[in-house]
Order: sequence, then structure tokens, then C-alpha cells
Amino acid sequence: MSTLDSTLAGEVTGGSWIARRARSGSRGPRLSRGLSGWLFVLPALSVYAAFVLRPLLSTIQYAFYDWNGITAATPVGLGNFQRVLTDPLLLSSVGHSFFLMIFYTILPVIGGLMVAALIQEIRLWGLGTVARTTLFLPQIIPGAAAAIAWVWMFSSNGAVNQVLSAVGLDGQTRAWLGDFNFALTSVGVIGTWLGLGFCTILLMAGIGKIDVSIYEAARLDGAGFFRTFTSVTLPGLRQEIGVCVTVTLIAALASFDIVFMSTQGGPGTSTMVPGVLIYQLGFTESRIGLASALAIVLTALILAVILPIQRFFREE
Amino acid sequence: MAQRSVPSPSGLSRSTSARRWMTVAAVAAAATLAACSAPGSGSGSVDTASAGEPAAVSTDLGTDPIELTLYDGAGLKAVDDALIAAFTTKYPNVTITTRFDPDDVQAQNAPRVLSSDNPPDIARIVALGDIVKNGQLTDLEPWAAAYGWDALPGGQLAMYTVDADGVRGSGAQYTVASGFVVTGLYYDKSVAATVGMTTPPATVDELEAALAKAKDAGVVPMIIGNQTGQGTFPIQMMINSYAGQQSVNDWVFNVADATIDTPEGVEAVTRVADWAAQGYFNSDANGTDSTTALGRFTQGEALFYPSGNWDASSLQDQMGDNVGFVLPPATTVGSSLAMSDPVSNFGIPAKSTNKDAAAVFLNFLTSPEARQVMVDFGFAPSGTGDAPTTPDGSLNAEIQAAFAGLVEADGQVQFVQNATSGINAIWLAQTQLLIEARTTPQDYLAAVQAAYQEQLGR
Repeated sequence: MSTLDSTLAGEVTGGSWIARRARSGSRGPRLSRGLSGWLFVLPALSVYAAFVLRPLLSTIQYAFYDWNGITAATPVGLGNFQRVLTDPLLLSSVGHSFFLMIFYTILPVIGGLMVAALIQEIRLWGLGTVARTTLFLPQIIPGAAAAIAWVWMFSSNGAVNQVLSAVGLDGQTRAWLGDFNFALTSVGVIGTWLGLGFCTILLMAGIGKIDVSIYEAARLDGAGFFRTFTSVTLPGLRQEIGVCVTVTLIAALASFDIVFMSTQGGPGTSTMVPGVLIYQLGFTESRIGLASALAIVLTALILAVILPIQRFFREE
Repeated sequence: MAQRSVPSPSGLSRSTSARRWMTVAAVAAAATLAACSAPGSGSGSVDTASAGEPAAVSTDLGTDPIELTLYDGAGLKAVDDALIAAFTTKYPNVTITTRFDPDDVQAQNAPRVLSSDNPPDIARIVALGDIVKNGQLTDLEPWAAAYGWDALPGGQLAMYTVDADGVRGSGAQYTVASGFVVTGLYYDKSVAATVGMTTPPATVDELEAALAKAKDAGVVPMIIGNQTGQGTFPIQMMINSYAGQQSVNDWVFNVADATIDTPEGVEAVTRVADWAAQGYFNSDANGTDSTTALGRFTQGEALFYPSGNWDASSLQDQMGDNVGFVLPPATTVGSSLAMSDPVSNFGIPAKSTNKDAAAVFLNFLTSPEARQVMVDFGFAPSGTGDAPTTPDGSLNAEIQAAFAGLVEADGQVQFVQNATSGINAIWLAQTQLLIEARTTPQDYLAAVQAAYQEQLGR
């Protein structure tokens, strides 16, 4: 107990020292102020450096070699990148990722907005919690497990086809994940199901942050549901929408688990995405260099898509 | 990313320090890149020179306690445990601990497990050529001489050997198999009676006649789970028949200039493409995995199910006497060829410290006790000797008889999916395209051959 007390006391003293330093910051030597800051960051920074920066740098290094992961590597210059940027299979897999954005990003964000606004409206009826829990449930299920459940539902005698048969659409039943025309869309539906809850919860939290008096003022001015939505809710949610779009876009471009567990990229290569290709190249075929080059190109692509969007949602 | 979109009062100073940090990181990165050598040249790799064998080998285990580790695919746990139990009964001073990875990742994890600081003493090797090239396996020649493994059947030895160029099928011995799988066609006897198939097909023409009868009778002629690539089995059965054993084995063993894209191959693939066009496969093949296909076959939905003896025990359990097994039909009578390769192709990692004891285990795999264990589990036995016993009239007895005939005729063919570590994905994708007529037999084989050459760096 006494040890704890003294430790706490020490921290308090340290804290006040910092506060003092901060107060007199402009007059003190800038260098030592900077140093003490680094000291606080050091523990987190070293973990970050060991588990994020180092692998990242290794990946960049590997991309310039032909390496099987075991024996000595041979440098190949930009050969791996050249291959990555000219391989038709790779380019089509990037195309699939962009198509998945419709299901991973656009539908969940629009759906999430609708649902969040509706829940805001029906909160009085006491159904808000039920709706919120139901919608958030998919979010706590791992993507891989969800994919397996959906594989059953999409199978020839699965729930999806049973529902279609029940409403008289027998002619439309098929093995959805094995159909060249519908497999990618079916994978997208799994992504929408997973992403909708996340967006809804985030946007509801955002709505909660908007001052209630603005809603009241809008109502007094005679604004209906849709006018309130477009004039109050939507502008107030700018940042939350930005987060939703960013996170779900990354999920679409870097998608792996759902595709890997449901189709492995098939039938043919109709659902192949870069994430699964990187896995196949790196772990199945032991071509670490090529897999690294593809991973770097994918990272660059994600940044190229995300950064402008970040800028757009940050500007006021 | 998420946090950075939230504006903060100290946004300016944060971005300044972020910029400073970027500079630090960039300098560190440059220093790291400049300082480090090519990947794989450090401690993680195995020096081929040190992978050599000890000067003298011992076949005596003595009486001191010996601990070995065995590494295999998780699906084979029951079989391995039974083998180990039989082994340790014979050699009570040996303890073997096991280590399993899921079957589909064991092959890709093996290179890294073998080069780890704590490697197993006995390990299942799938990509034998690659792992030998990496210098990760022990050349078994001294033990082969001591135990007389050169007397094993040539067809089996071919699966254990790799030459100096990394070509399999001849050269130094690196492995011994625990037993063998064998593939063919399972058929539902009551469905066969309904559609009028009186005897199992021995030739491709007879098979096609049976498929047509089943189609007319409204049952699925052949059910495949092609989401997981089962359609490649009937295709290889035809390729074996048309192109011949040597040609296919050479291709799988990576013999120089080997090709699967031959006129005979195209003829074989065309035949299967025709079956697909006739509707001889289940219409949802690409959306069905092999486990589901197996379940539907046991329910009497189809006449044939192309698979191997790994499915024998569950089929026997669920269908009893109602299921039969026949080797893949050939183009001419009596020349059956079937895909058949090791259940576990066990090698001794170069970094193992108990090579003599591990070699005793490998030799044990060809003993009557081990052969009986493998047969009890529905697999075909390793080595030679009297046929292990099976219950009369059982599916297992039928498969064992078929396997004995296959070995006698030297008709074991390697699985084409094992030709390179990455080729399975190509076969899978291309077969899915083929049965939906989205590619031609010519383009199908050309695509596989192109990927094969690309992956082998040819």
C-alpha cells in the first residue's frame, strides 16, 4: 500500500512538474521539452516500431527480391512490380475490389444513415435498443465465421433459395456462390450485412452528439422528417460519415476473410481479390517477393483512394 | 486513420511533430535498408552443407529414453496416433509427441516449421522437390542401405526420391510413406440397379453408357463438389488414360520439358467437357464443396462419386453394403491407372537431432504391424508383404483388392494438383470455367501449362 502511495505521489509530482514545464514552456529550452515528450512516447513507439514499422520496411525490402522465404534471395530490381502491374489476373482482382465498394461502403453508409435516422425517430416507442442490438450483432461475429454461415445460406438448398421458393421464385434459385454472374454480388451482400451495423452505431452516436435544440428549432419551423434529415442530421454527421467511408473502403480494398472463407476467389477467378492473391502467392506458392510487391501496390492504392476522401470530409 | 479525422486544437503542432517523426522514420528506414543483407542469407536459412548425414548410422535404439516429435496434418491424427502406439509397443523406450497443423496449411507451413529452432524429427513432406532444394531434409541413403529400402517397389521409391536438379522420381531417397491413397469411382448400388447398370464400368465407353442411363433416369450421373476442385478428379482420370502414366508422372515430378498440354490431353479434357455439356454433373457443382457432395451421394442423389479411399470409412458407415468402388475406367480393357500417392510422405528434417531413431520409425512404416494399422484405417499399405486382413465383403476389402491390382500393374499416377505448390489454384479455377463451358479444352490445358512453367521459372 505504501509503495503504491509513494508511486502515486511520484506520479503526481511528475505530473505537476510536467504541468509546470508546460506552463513555462515558451521560456524553457525547447530541446528538453521535446525530449521529455519523446520519453513518454517511447514505450508505445518501440512496440509500434517492432510490430508495425519493421514488418512494413521488411515488406518493402522483400519486394525487390525473388525469395522463397527459406533460401538466399536474389535481387530482381523492379521485376516484381512490373509483373504486378501487367498481370491481367491481378488487375481484374483490383477491379473486383472496386466493385465490392458498392456493397462494403455505399450500401452500408446509406443504409446506416437511414436506419440511424429512423431509430432516432422511433426512440420514443422504446424500440431503439432492440433495433440497435439487432443491427450491431453482425459486427461482433468474426468475418470468417459469418462467411461460413452465409455459405450455407447461399448453397443450393440454403435459406436464400428456400425463401425464393417460398415466394414463388423457383426459377431464380441457384448455388449463388458458384454462379459466375452472381458470386461477386453474393460476396458483397455478406460484406453489406457485416458493415451495416458498424455504420449504424457510429452514425447514431453522431446523431446523439447533435444538439437537440437544433432538432426542436427545425421542427418548430415546420421541417418534416426528410427536411430535418437533410438540413440537420446530414451536415452534423459529416465527420462520422467520413470515418464510416474510410473504414469500409479499407475493408473493401483489403478484403480477405469473407472471400477466402466463402469462395477462395472462385468460380474461376470471378471473386478473386488482391488480399487472397497475396496470401496465395506468399504462403501457398512461397513467392515472398512477388507477394510483397503486390501488398505494397495494394497499400499505395488504398492510400490513393483514402487520402482525398479524408481531406474532403475534414474540410469544413 | 479514424482518429486523424477528428480535429483537435493542437492540430498544428501535431502535424509538425508528425512531420518531424516522418523524417526520423525515413532516416531509420534508409539506414535499415542499407544495413541489412538479402533476405534469407541470415540465421533463418539452412546451409545445405550442414544438411549432410552423420558418418555412421545406427539401427539400434538401445534402451535409453528417446523423445521424438512427429509433424503432420490434423486430419491424420487418428492414423498417426495408432501408428505411434504400435511403434512404442515395439520400442518402449521411445516417446513420440505429435504436432499438427490443419491439413490444408500443413504443406505451406512445413518449410518454416522445418527451419525453426525446434524442428520435428519426422515430418510429412508435400512439396518434396522444393524442400529438398531448400536443403531442409536429410538424405536417407545411409539408412536406405542399412535397412534395404532399395528393395521397395519402384513405383513407391519414385515418390521418395529427388535428383540433383530438383526433379522427382529418381536420385537420392528423402522420404518413406506411411501408406497410400487410391482414387476411383464410388457408385451407389441401388441407384445402379434402378438405372440399369449391371456391372461397374471397366472402360470409358461403359462409363459413358452408365452416365447416359442415369441422366435418362433423372438421377445425377456423377456428383462433384467443384467449389473445392473435385472436378479435376474425373479430368485427370481421363488424362491418365489418354496421355499415359509416364507422361503425367513426368509432369508432376517436374522433368525438364514435361508438358500436360498435348493432343492426347486435349482429347481427354474434351471428353469431360462433353459430359458437362450433357449435364452429367450436378448443375450446382461450382457452388458445392466436396463434403456436401459426399453427403448428397450417401443420400442416394447420384450414381457416381469420384474420390479416394480417404472417404471409404464414412461411406461404409453411412451406406453399408449399398456402396461399391471401382478403379477409374480406362480407354481399353485392363489398363487401369489411378491417382495414388502417399498418405503422409515422412522425411527427417535436416535440423533433427535424432535421425537414427527417426529412421527406425520410417523403417517401421513398412512393417506388418504398421501395414495392418493403415489398412484398418482404410488406406493402402506401404512397402510389400502379405496383404493385411480386411472384413470380407466390406468396401475396404474391395478397395484393398483394387489397390493390390493397381500396384501389381504398376498403375500408380501422381496427382496433377501436386506438380507445383501453387498449381492447385490454377486447376481449381480452370476446372470451374471448363464445366460451365467458359473455356475450351485447348485453352484449359494451355493456361495450366503456362502457370506451371511460370511457377517453375521455365
